[in-house]
Amino acid sequence: MVNVVCTFCGSVCDDGEYENGKIKKLCRLGSAKFAEKERIKSPMVDGKEVSYEEAIQKAAEILVNAKKPLLYGWASTANEAIRLGVILTEKVRGIYDQCASVCHAPGTLAVIEEGLPGGTLGSIKNRADVVVFWGANPMEAHPRHGIRYSISAKGLLIKDRKNRKIVVVDVRKTRTAKNADLFVQVKPGYDYAVITALRSIINGNLDAVPEEVGGVKKEQLVQLADIMKNAKYGAILYGLGVTQSRGRDRTIENAVKLVQLLNRTTRWIIWPMRGHYNVVGAGEVPAWEVGYQYAIDFSRGYPRFSPNEFAAVEVLKRKDCDAALIIASDPVAHFPKAAVKHLKEIPVIQIDPFPNMTTLLAKVVIPSAIYGIEAEGTAYRMDCIPLRLKKVVETKYWSDEKILAEILKKVEELKKG
Amino acid sequence: MAIHIKNGIVIDPKNKIKAEKMDLFIKDGKIVDEKAVKKEECQVIDATNKLVVAGGVDMHAHIAGSKINTGRTMRPEEMRVVRRVADTFRAAVGRVLLTAPAIGYEYAKMGYTVSFEAAQPPIGALHTHEELDAIPMIDKAALPVFGNWHLVFKFVEEKNIEKLKAFIAWAIERTKGFGVKAVNPGGVEAWMYGKNVRSLDDQVPGFNITPREIITSLIQATEELKLPHSVHLHCNNLGVPGNYQTTIETIKLASKFSNSKRQVLHVTHVQFNSYAGSSWRDAASGAAEIAKVVNSIDNVTIDMGQPIFGHATAMTGDAPFQFTLHRLTGAKWSNKDSEVEGGAGIVPLVYLPNNPVHALQWAIGLELGLLIDSNKVVLTTDYPNGGPFTEYPYVMAMLMSRKMREKELQKVSPYVQKATGLAAIDKEKTLEELIHMTRSLPAKILGLENKGHLGIGADADVAIYDLNPLDVDTSNEFEKVYKALKTAVYTIKGGEIIVKNGELVKEVWGRTYWVDARSKVDLEAVMPDIENYFQYYSIELQNYGVEESWIRMPERIVVG
Amino acid sequence: MWGEIMLILKPKVNFVVTVEAEITPELATKSLDEILNFKVYYGKNLVKLGDLFEVKKEGDDKKIILDGDFSRVKWIGCRMEDGEILVKGSVGTNCGAYMKGGKIIIEGNADDWLGAEMNGGEIVVKGNTGNLVGCAYYGDATGMSNGKIIIEGNAGNYIGEKMSGGIIEIKGNAGDFVGTEMRGGQIIIHGSCGFVGGDMRGGEIAIKGSFELLPAFIKKEEGLWVGDVNVKGEGKIRAIKS
Repeated sequence: MVNVVCTFCGSVCDDGEYENGKIKKLCRLGSAKFAEKERIKSPMVDGKEVSYEEAIQKAAEILVNAKKPLLYGWASTANEAIRLGVILTEKVRGIYDQCASVCHAPGTLAVIEEGLPGGTLGSIKNRADVVVFWGANPMEAHPRHGIRYSISAKGLLIKDRKNRKIVVVDVRKTRTAKNADLFVQVKPGYDYAVITALRSIINGNLDAVPEEVGGVKKEQLVQLADIMKNAKYGAILYGLGVTQSRGRDRTIENAVKLVQLLNRTTRWIIWPMRGHYNVVGAGEVPAWEVGYQYAIDFSRGYPRFSPNEFAAVEVLKRKDCDAALIIASDPVAHFPKAAVKHLKEIPVIQIDPFPNMTTLLAKVVIPSAIYGIEAEGTAYRMDCIPLRLKKVVETKYWSDEKILAEILKKVEELKKG
Repeated sequence: MAIHIKNGIVIDPKNKIKAEKMDLFIKDGKIVDEKAVKKEECQVIDATNKLVVAGGVDMHAHIAGSKINTGRTMRPEEMRVVRRVADTFRAAVGRVLLTAPAIGYEYAKMGYTVSFEAAQPPIGALHTHEELDAIPMIDKAALPVFGNWHLVFKFVEEKNIEKLKAFIAWAIERTKGFGVKAVNPGGVEAWMYGKNVRSLDDQVPGFNITPREIITSLIQATEELKLPHSVHLHCNNLGVPGNYQTTIETIKLASKFSNSKRQVLHVTHVQFNSYAGSSWRDAASGAAEIAKVVNSIDNVTIDMGQPIFGHATAMTGDAPFQFTLHRLTGAKWSNKDSEVEGGAGIVPLVYLPNNPVHALQWAIGLELGLLIDSNKVVLTTDYPNGGPFTEYPYVMAMLMSRKMREKELQKVSPYVQKATGLAAIDKEKTLEELIHMTRSLPAKILGLENKGHLGIGADADVAIYDLNPLDVDTSNEFEKVYKALKTAVYTIKGGEIIVKNGELVKEVWGRTYWVDARSKVDLEAVMPDIENYFQYYSIELQNYGVEESWIRMPERIVVG
Repeated sequence: MWGEIMLILKPKVNFVVTVEAEITPELATKSLDEILNFKVYYGKNLVKLGDLFEVKKEGDDKKIILDGDFSRVKWIGCRMEDGEILVKGSVGTNCGAYMKGGKIIIEGNADDWLGAEMNGGEIVVKGNTGNLVGCAYYGDATGMSNGKIIIEGNAGNYIGEKMSGGIIEIKGNAGDFVGTEMRGGQIIIHGSCGFVGGDMRGGEIAIKGSFELLPAFIKKEEGLWVGDVNVKGEGKIRAIKS
C-alpha cells in the first residue's frame, strides 16, 4: 500500500509505503512504529485475563461509581475515539485532559491571550525565506520535518535550502542548530526576555535594551531583528524548549506579540512543533464538542476550563479524582512523583496497544488496535491538516473507537440502573 | 409515523399560500397528500391559530471547521455561558460562539432545520465534515473556497474554462462540498506578500490575472456546470470605507450571464461591503445605491450580514481584512495561511450601539433588508461575524415594523441619522415576505428543491410558531412577533418532532448534501495539472479529500 | 474583632475529592436549616453542606469561621460583598474570586487564583499563596480592579496579571512574571521575585529584594524604571530602598 500515513510524530508524513510487514520511506522513528513490538495480550481485570466484554463492564462500573474520574491521554488515538471519550467524560461527569497539558498546552493559553497567527506546513515550504526554530530540534524530534516542510523543502517560491535562512534559538547547540545559518544561544529561562528585547529593537527602542540579554549580545539581537524585519515570509516554529521552560505560555504569548508586530511591515507566522501524531485532534475535538481543548471538568454537568485545577498533573497532585481512565499514554512513566503516587491509590483503567509503566498499576487493562496500522480513523497533523489513517493489516484487537463506544453503552445502561 | 398538523395558518410563499387555514400531512419524512395517510394512525398536532411554515434555511453561517474551532479555542470567555446541562441531551455551551451540539439545538429551537457552512478551506474539508457531523438536528452542507486557489488562478490565466470546470467538479467532489465560494478573490494571495487587492482590476501577485477575471471565470464555469447554487461571493475590499463602489461593479459582472432557474451570482453579507466615504471618520451608507443596482439586475441575490449589538467573532477567509481588524481594534488575532489555497483569520469584536461605526453597520444591514426586493435578499448575520443566528427573529421583527425601528434608533449613536437613510424608510415588509426571505428564497438560491416550502413531496421540515398571521399586527405588535419567532412551538425535522414548546424532545441527525458534477467534465484532462501542482502541497494527492463513507449521512446531488 | 455572633463550619469527613462551596458571609444570616441544606458540589454530586461539615450557628452576624483544613474546599468567599470569613487553616483554589467587599483572613496557605478578578474588600494570608493571585481568568481582559490582598509569606508565579487597580502586598518573595500586562494599581514585594512588568501599561510594582528587569523599561532615576516601551506603557517599577 502506498501513501500510508505515519502515526508517530506530529509531522504525520503521508508518503509511507507498506508491503509484507515492511514500511518504506519513513524515518527511523516512524519505521520503528511499524515494527513488531510486545503487545498487551488480552483484556485484564486485576491481572487476570478476561474477555473484552468483562473488562468493559468493569471499566464502566468504575467510571459510574466514581465521584470524579479523570480521563486522560488521547494524543495517540483517532478523532473518532476522542469524540466518544469527550462524550463519555461528559456522561460520567469527570475530567477530560490530554497529553498537551504536559507539553504544548501553554501554546493554547497563548492563543487565548493573543491568538495564533499561523499557516500550514505547505505555506512554510512554499513561501518561507526565513525559518526560526525556537526551542525546537526537528532533526531529532521530527526527523523529516526539515526536508518535507521547512529547512530544505522545495516549494513554489523557495526552491531550495540556499534560498532559505534557518535560525535556531536554543539553550544548547542541537543538531538542528549545527545546520542553521544562525544560532542564537540563550541562557536557560531567558527566552521571554530575549523576545522582549527583539520587540524593543524592532519598535525602535534600542535604549531599553542592555548590552546583553539572556546571554545574547545586543549586537546579535539586532542582527536577528534585522533578519526578521527583512524576511518576505518568516516562520517561528517553537518547541518544548519554550513550552516547558520558565515562562511557558507567557513566553509564547510574547512571541505571538512579536509576530503581530512583524506583520505590520512584512509577513510572519508562528506555529508549535507538536509532538504526538494526533495531539492536535485531542484538543480540536473537545473544542467543537464542549468548547475547550484540555483541562475540562464536567462535575457540574457542563464543561469548565481551568488548567491550574483540571490538568491531569494538577488533579493528581491535589488528589482530586477517585478513578482514572488512561488511554494511549503512559503517565506513570512521565508524570511527577506526587502525581503518580495518587494514581497508585485509585482504580485505573488503561486502554493501549502496548504494555507500559501504567499497565503495571492498572486494575482494568484493555488492549487496542494501533491506528494507522490496524485501524482506520482521522488525525490532525501539527498544523491542523486532517489526514485519514489507513488500516494496513488485520487484527484481533478492538479499536479505541469500538472500546469506547461499548464503555459508553454500558455506562448509559448502568446510569439508567 | 405519520403526522397531521391540524388547523394551522400556513404561509408557504413558494406555493403561493398566503396565510391560509389548512391541514398538513407528513409521512416517511415528506409532506404528503391527505389521501396518503390514514388519519386515525396520525399523531395530531393542533395548530389552531398558529403560524405553520417550512423550517428555516440559513444559507450563510460559519458553523463548522477550523475557523470557528480556533474561535472557540481563542475565546474561553465565550464558552462560559451554559445553555444546557447534560442530561439525555448533550451539554450545550456558548455565548455567541457555540459548541457543535449547541448549534444544532439552538437552530432547532428557533425552527430552523438547514444551515450551510459558508467557507470550507479545501484541504481542511475533513475537519469541516467532522464538525458538521457533530451538529445534531439540522441538515447541512459546506461551500469550499476557490477565490485564491492557485489551480483556479492557473486556469483563469490560461483562459481555459474547460479545465476550470473540471477542476471545480474535482474539488467539490474531493471536499464533499456543495458549490463555489470565493472570498476576496486575489486579495488573500496578495496577503501572502503582506498586501491586499484594492480594485477589480488590480493584478494578483505572481499571476497575470485580476479579481474581475477570477470572478467572471468562476461564474462562467459554475453556470456551464449547472451547479445547483451559483457562485457565492465575498467581495473584494470588505470592511473598507468607500467599498460600495467595488461591490456595485462586482454585482454588474453578473449581467453578462443568465440562468432561468436562479441567480448567477450570490453576493454575501453585503452590509460589510456597503460603505460610502473615504475613512471611518466620514463613512456613510452605500446601501441605497447597492439596493438600486440589485433591484435592477435579475441575476443577483444577496444576504444581509446584519450585525447584532453585542459580542461577535469575525472569522472569514479574508485574511488581510482580519489583520486590518486586529490593527483597528487591538484584539487578539489568529491567521491561517493555507498551502496554495488561500487563508483565513479570526478576531473577536463587540458591536456597541453608541459606537458610530457599529451603529452605521447595523443601520446599513437593515437598509439592505428593507430596500432590496424580498425576492433577492436573504436574512443572515453571517454568524458569528455579525453576531448570533439566534437573533434572526429580531431582524425579522425590525424589517416588519417601522415603530420597532424608531424605538431601536433611539438607543444607537445619532451618527446613523446623518450617515444613513434608515430613519426615513417607511417600508414595512410583510410576514409573508420574511418567511420567504428565511425559507423559500434561500432554498431557491441554493437550489434545494425539497427545502423551504410545504408542497407535496417537500421534506417534512416544519416550524410552528405561536403567532396567528391572520390576526397579528406586525407593525405594532413587534414584541409579540419577536417572542413568537424566537422559539418554535413545534419543530419537525424529516417528519420527526424534535422541539415542543421550545424544548428539545428528540435528538436527530440531519444529512450532509454534496454536489457531484463529475459526469459533465473531462477529469482525465485536468488530472496531470492537479498532480503537477501537488508538489506545492504538503500532503499526497491520494490523501487529499473526503470519502462519502466517512460522513455520517451524506446525500449526493448529481448534476448532469 | 470576632465577637460571639457567628457561624462555624468544620469538615466532618475526609474529602475523597475536592469540594466546591461558594460560601459567603451571607450564609451566616440564614436559618440553621437553610445552612445545613446549602448546596455544595462534591465531585459530580450536589450534596448538602451539613453532609460534609459540622455546622454551629451562634448568631446572625455576617461572620463565618472555617475551622480546620479547607485546602480541599474551593471558591470560598467567591463574589462576597461584605462580612468576614476567618479560615483557621489553609484554603483551596479560587478563594475570594470576584470578591466585592468584606474581609477574608486565612491563617494557613491559599491555593491558586486567590482573589482573582477581585473588585473590593480585603484578603489577608498569614502563610503562602499559590500562583495567579489577583489575576484575570483566561479570556478576561482585567484582573484585580480594587481592594487589597496582603500575603505575609511567599507568593507563586503570575501575580497581579492584567491588574487595573487595588493593592497586592507580599511580605516574603514572589515568583516569576509579576504584574504582566498590568494597567493600574500597586504590587509591593518585600522580598525578591523574577521577571516583572512585561507589557505593563500602568500602575506600580515596588520591590525591596532582587528582581529581573525586562529589556523594555527605561531608567528614569535611581531605582525607578518606566515601561513597557513595547506597549507605550507608563508603568513604574520601583526599587524600595532598605
